[in-house]
Order: sequence, then structure tokens, then C-alpha cells
Amino acid sequence: MITKTILEQIEGEASLYFDMKGNIVDFVTIAFPHFRGMEKMLEGKNAMDALVITPRVCGICGHSHLLASVRAIEDAYKNSDSVVEITNKAAKVREITLVLEIIQNHLKWIYLVLVPHLRELSESEELLNTPLKGAYGASFATKILAIFAGQWPHSSYMVPGGITSDFTYVDLTKAKSHLQKLTEYFEAETLGASVEEFLSFESCKDFAPLESDFAKIEQLLIDLEMHKKGHAKDTFLSIGIHEFSHAAKVKGTKLFKVASKYVETQDAYAPDEKSYAKNALYKNQFYETGPLARCMAKEFKLIKNMHRRFKDSAYTRVMARIYETAYLLGFCKKLLDEINISEASCRETIPLKNISGTGEGVVEAPRGPLIHRVQIKEGIIKSYEIITPTQYNIASATKENPSPAQQAMLHCSQADAKFIFRTFDVCSVCTTH
Amino acid sequence: MARTTKEERKNGIISAALELFSENGFYITTIPDIAKKVGMSVGNFYNYFSSKDILAKELIMYISEYLGKNIRAINESDISTQEKIEKIVSMYFDTAKERPEMIEYFLRVYLSNREVFKDGCEGMICVSPFITEMMIFFEKGVASGELHDQDFFSAFGLFMGYLGGMVFLYGEKILPEPLDDYKQSISENIYNALKTRT
Amino acid sequence: MHSKQEHKLKVFWLQGLTCNGNAHSFLNLDYLGELLEKTEFLQHPLLPSKYALSEMAECKTGCDVLIFEGAYDPSLKRAGVFVDKILRHYAKNAKYIIAVGTCASFGGIFKATSPQTNSGILFNEAEKNGPLQEYNAKIINLSGCPVHPEWLGFTLNMIIDRRKIVLDEEHRPQELYSSLVHHGCTRNEYFEWKVDANHFGEKEGCLFYKQGCRAPMTHGSCNTILWNGVNSKTRSGTPCFGCTESDFPRTNLFETKTNMSIPADAPVGVPKRAYLTVTGIAKTFHIKRLEEPLIDYKNNT
Repeated sequence: MITKTILEQIEGEASLYFDMKGNIVDFVTIAFPHFRGMEKMLEGKNAMDALVITPRVCGICGHSHLLASVRAIEDAYKNSDSVVEITNKAAKVREITLVLEIIQNHLKWIYLVLVPHLRELSESEELLNTPLKGAYGASFATKILAIFAGQWPHSSYMVPGGITSDFTYVDLTKAKSHLQKLTEYFEAETLGASVEEFLSFESCKDFAPLESDFAKIEQLLIDLEMHKKGHAKDTFLSIGIHEFSHAAKVKGTKLFKVASKYVETQDAYAPDEKSYAKNALYKNQFYETGPLARCMAKEFKLIKNMHRRFKDSAYTRVMARIYETAYLLGFCKKLLDEINISEASCRETIPLKNISGTGEGVVEAPRGPLIHRVQIKEGIIKSYEIITPTQYNIASATKENPSPAQQAMLHCSQADAKFIFRTFDVCSVCTTH
Repeated sequence: MARTTKEERKNGIISAALELFSENGFYITTIPDIAKKVGMSVGNFYNYFSSKDILAKELIMYISEYLGKNIRAINESDISTQEKIEKIVSMYFDTAKERPEMIEYFLRVYLSNREVFKDGCEGMICVSPFITEMMIFFEKGVASGELHDQDFFSAFGLFMGYLGGMVFLYGEKILPEPLDDYKQSISENIYNALKTRT
Repeated sequence: MHSKQEHKLKVFWLQGLTCNGNAHSFLNLDYLGELLEKTEFLQHPLLPSKYALSEMAECKTGCDVLIFEGAYDPSLKRAGVFVDKILRHYAKNAKYIIAVGTCASFGGIFKATSPQTNSGILFNEAEKNGPLQEYNAKIINLSGCPVHPEWLGFTLNMIIDRRKIVLDEEHRPQELYSSLVHHGCTRNEYFEWKVDANHFGEKEGCLFYKQGCRAPMTHGSCNTILWNGVNSKTRSGTPCFGCTESDFPRTNLFETKTNMSIPADAPVGVPKRAYLTVTGIAKTFHIKRLEEPLIDYKNNT
């Protein structure tokens, strides 16, 4: 018997069709019912317009779309024999604002998604529902982002050749000060330890002295046996080229080289409802993407240790997202310190109307690899393709070859399955661009 | 009535000065020459214009306003861009015939003695009413789809350079036919050069 | 008499076809905590809510304020129910209906995908013929892509304080939309003296002449009520794309439309003749200070 459940508060909604054997999930298919047609909308437009349109794919990770878009256009320049080299300053600021978007995403996920659903599932009152902690922390991160990008959401400050903003030391000082405050806030409110101390942890045993939201989350996950549930495919993918991540395909703990050209999409298998999401696969196989994948590719000791013990369980997945938040706060500080303000923000490029060719932009968005592929003829978009991270994680395929989320939801109760679904940090709007 | 008289006398100076400057050139013409032509004392002249340079600037503003006012009337009439071109050409040639000193002054004094106008009359300052109307004319022509989009000065130079050249030939008595005979063909040439390319 | 503590403003945040950008933008509000003390979200797409969307979709209760985000799409369902049905049910008894964002106000980006069917709730671009005509009097448009959090914070507080919100012809609060985005821009001196920004990435120069900046033609307070409390598009060197207006999104967004090098649009309310006269004269003067970099890091470090 197949039952339908509509899940909300996942940046939109999704329909889950559960096939139950008694009280145990035997199989799930997933449909995303909304269609918006962003790719089609871009056809025939000036390629620069993509920098304004594509951030509007998503209210929570639009900045990642902006970076993917500008990288795709710059790649088209390169493929049209006109290499665009951006300065270190522009590259670092692009990275800073991307990282800040990931941080705000994770903070919101912890307090607006994880905590309430963990409370609900565990029926525990110990962990307080404090959504404003997430909103406040996230708004701090976007404040720093906006110092460089003008605003968040929906900035368009990256352009071929660099960035539009020409910030001063006054701005930089303010950014550093805000970041310091945000870090202290996260340490006090979430971790219960300094970021430095937290990042030095090598095993879960090191969490013992902590008394914090993090410690309570960790304990509840163990109580719910989430370290024994929610296992996906134990294969991970991180493709975007960044200073903070390492592009690799990971199987178990082994790292392999990766190339974005092997990413392809196929129609979702959703027999009960029309789904506007397409599945994303790498060399015809499903991989998990996002913080856990990035932590595995980056071979962080703590996460590798968790993985050794609990594999890619829901527990490990959640822990990786919190760990990555701490890591990125430290990384962002490093980047801010490295900026040389006297470098140019933007280098001159030849006019886009002289550019004909294809280009690809790959970015590690909060939930994993985001790919934009563009075909340009004399500066005009002929075709545009967007492949988002949720398309890998929450793909809907057949029982014989399930996607990471489908695999992870098997053999547990429906309540557990819904929680596990959310541990992937689903973005419905991105998926149905 | 005294005030009107003063205005009229000022206009008298402007007309006389335009004639003398355009006939004899800017440097040869002196203030006593102008005062003599209007029949006033040199001392009285200075009540109207405090120097020859200032008079020179007032003259170009006077011409610019005159041309601007006429082109504005054409711009505001509900006719096609092609008809506007005909009217502008016609207005310009009529001015060259009826008040040749105005066009002569523009070409022979203003454009040839830039040093006189460099201070306080540079760029568009003294010719703003005229250039603004030409901008409006071109902008409307492109916006309506009748003219093809290009750099303003490329189009402006084509239009005004052509008319200036013809008036020069007319002034030098080189043209074999009366100026009016050229209105239609010149309007067509200008329109053909500026119109939307299909 | 009910005190405000006893009766919190009941708000239902419903979504049409959207990117969630307005919901996320709202979370950036500085005084979100204080506002939430005075309101009760029956349902919000991100914040903890009294009811699930599926419960609200049963259309058995009512709200004081209905917030609608996203474009109106007659074929769209939320929680399995046509949004049109949910929208009309709650619109009927709500005291105010707030369209947040340009999609809900005029159609915006997600009208562009299906222009035949999608629109804002009261307006379809500039035409006032959207589906909620009968509730015309209580609809407030907070256009912007996304809505500025303080614009929504202001509107909700005005409603809580029972003050009258004066609207413009497009149903936008005058307090927020009476001035132009140009107002308060740090590049205004360059606009005055017609000094172009020749390329991106410089704090000097005005973006109106070449980079497509719509700030002088766009109603909004982006440069007086700063984004995220710190900045704006134009201050950070990005042109304004006119996202609060009914014709958003336009095309060729990074280019200024010109006819024979003359900007096709003059600032709102300024006759083109007046604009061109002033421009021509201002351009004549070369203000050395405005033609040089403001800060010379290279030679002074």
C-alpha cells in the first residue's frame, strides 16, 4: 500500500510516496510538484542577464547560482579564445561571500529544521526550540556578505572579470569585526567550545565535556540511534573548485579524481505524480553531495573518524554540517586577512557580443555541486542548463538503483524516514528551477 | 516704454554686430565700428555689453536660442522623422538666405575663433538650446524606429556638417542653382544616410 | 478591551510560485524577535508556526493579515490544494493582504515563465486586473526582488499600531516607495556632474550612463534604508535593476538603453529636454577631483 505525504519547510515542498511493509519503509519515491522554467526563460537573453535571473532560482542559495553563472560565462570567454583572469582579490571575495552563504544556510538548517524535528521525533524538551538563534546568526553572516555584495538575497555583484564592489579598509574592518562577533556567537550559542578547540577534536569522545545545543543535538541523535540509521550509498561527490574544498569522488574512504563533464541528468522515476525534478548522476551512478561529501573529500579527521564508526549515517551527515559551519567560520577569517585591497576588483574583458561558445560553471553550494552550463552565440544565450545538488541527493529512481535519500530512508519507521530525508537539507525550489 | 526701447537697442547691437563680425571677422571689427553702425556712443555701448568677448558669447547664445526655438517647434509637431528632416533643412537654408549673418557668424566666428569662447562658453554651454533640440530630434527618431542607432556625434556631424558645407558654398556663390533647389535632394540624402537599415 | 499581549496579530504567509527569497529576506530583520512577540504566525514557510500548511489548506480558520509571496499561478497547488482557493478563502476575512515581493505585486520573474496565466494578486505588470480585484482596498504591495525586510517590518508594525498606511497608485506605502533608489546613492555627485563609471569594480563614477542603472527610474528606499543594514547594490558598484517596478525583469540589464548615445529614459518626472540641457552643460566641465581615483592605495602603501 502506497501512502502519500507532503513535506513542507524544505524551501518549498515535496511529495513522498511511501511503500510500507508493516511499519517499515520498503521503498519511497519522491516528486517535486512545482515548475518555474528558469532555464527556458534565459534563452534568447543577453548572457549578462543570467547574473540577475539565476540568483532568483533560490532564496537561500542564490549567491551560489550567481557564482556558477559568472564562472560559466567566464568559461565561455575562455572557450572563445579570450581568457578572463580575475585578480586574487576578486577570487577571494567571491569565495568569502560564497562561504558566508553556506554558513547562513547551515545556521538556519540547524535551528529551523534540525532542532524542531529532532524535538518532535524524540519528544524531548531538553533541546529548546530557538528559531531566532538561527535567524540571528544567519542575518549576521549575510550582513558581512552584503558589505561586499551589496545585499543578500539576490545580489548580482559578480561580473565577468571580477566583482563590482570596490570596498575600502573601513568595509574590511567592519567585515572582520562582524565575523568575530558571529564566530563568538556560534561558539557560545551552538558549540559550547571555541571554533579552534572544536576543530581540533578527533573523535566523538571529545564532545563529552560540552554542554551546549551541539552536545544536546549529538546526544539526541545517539538516543534516536541515528548513528545506525539513514545510511545512504557511502559514495560522495565534491566537484566545485574552491580553496575551502577538495574536488573528489569518494567511495568509502578512497578518493578519486573527478570531472564535471561526467555529470548527467535523467528523468525522475515518480509513478504516482508528475515531478519536475530531474535526477543528477555521475557516470550513471548516484552520489551523496553536500557537507558530508565535502568533509570526506577534505579528509577531516573528526568526520573520517565518525565515518569509520558510523559510516554515512544520519548522525554523521548532521555532524558534518555543523562541523563544516565551524570550519568555514575559521576559513572566512583567514580569507579576510589575506585580501590585498590595492588589487583591481574587476579586470576589463572584451564585450560579450564577441563571445560565442559554451561554458560551464561549477560551484560547491551549501548542499553540494551546482552546475550551470551555457551556450552563447554572439553574447546571446542559446541554451542554459542548471543542475542542483538536491538533484543528486533527493533523486527519485527505481528500487533497483535508489538515490542516496531513497536508500537512506529504507528499513526504518516513516517518522524516522521523514527526519532522515531532512538530514539531506533539501532545497525544493532549486530542484524545480 | 523705456525698458522696451532698451531691449530694442540691445537687439539692434546684436544685429549690427552679427553683420560686422560675419563680414569682417572677429578681430578686425572693433567696438567703435559697432557703436557707429547702431548710432550710439562707445560709452553707451558699454552699458549693454561690457566687452567684445562677452558680446561674442551673447551672440552665439542668441543664434543657438533662435535655431533651438525653431527646431523645437518642428520636434513638437506630429510629423514623421523624414518630414522633420525636410523642415529642419528648410528652416536652416531659409535662415541662411534671410539672415545670413547668423549662419556666417556660427561658421566663421564661433567655430573659427575657439580661443574667444574657451572661457565660460566651452562645450555645450552657449549652444545648449540648439544641441539639446538636435538630441531630442535624434533620440525620438531612433526611439520611433525611423533612424538607426549610432553615436550621437556621428549623426550630428553628418547632418550639420552637410548643411554648413552647403551654406558655405552658397555664401561663396559657388552653387549654380538657388539654395531652395537643393532642399529636397539634401533632405533625402540626409534621411537615407540616417534611416533604419533593413 | 483586548490588550496587545492578549491579541497577537494572526498572520498567514502563503506562497505562490516563488524562490523563497522574500521569506529568507524577512529573517534578516533586525527586530524580528520583537515583531514576533506581537504576531503569531499561523503558518510561515520557514518559521515555527501554529499550524502546518496542510491544516491551513483545509480553509477552516481565518487570519488578520494574509501575506502572499510569489507569482499567482492558477494551476498551482500547495499541500495538495489549489493556491487560488486558499488565497481567496483567507483574503475574504483578512484585514489586510500584503503582497511581498515583485512576483506577488506585479508578476515579476515568475510571470515571465508563463506570461499568459501568471500575474501578481492585484496587478498584472502595470495593469490592475489580477485575480484579487474585489479585495483591492485592503491590498498592500511591497514590491522588490526580494522585499526589503524593513519594508515588511514597517508595514506589520503600522498594522499592529493601527496606523493608516498611505499608499501610492500601485498600492505601495509612500513612506517606502515615494523616493527613488537614486536617493542616497553614494555615487550621486558623479551623476550630478555626469561622470560615467567606465567599468565595473570602481567606487568612482555613475552607473546610469553605461551600466544600465535604473535607480533614477525606480521607486524604493534601498539607499536610505540599507540592505542587511550595511549596503546597497549601487553602493557596491552593481547597477540597480529596477526590481521594485512592474516591468521587472527587463532585458539587457547591465546596459543603458540609448538612442544615438542619448539615454532612452530620463529620471522620473524630469522632462527629457531639461535633462539633456543640464547634462550637456554639466559634461562641459571637467571636475578633476571626480575624474581621479578617490583613494590611491597603490602609491601610498
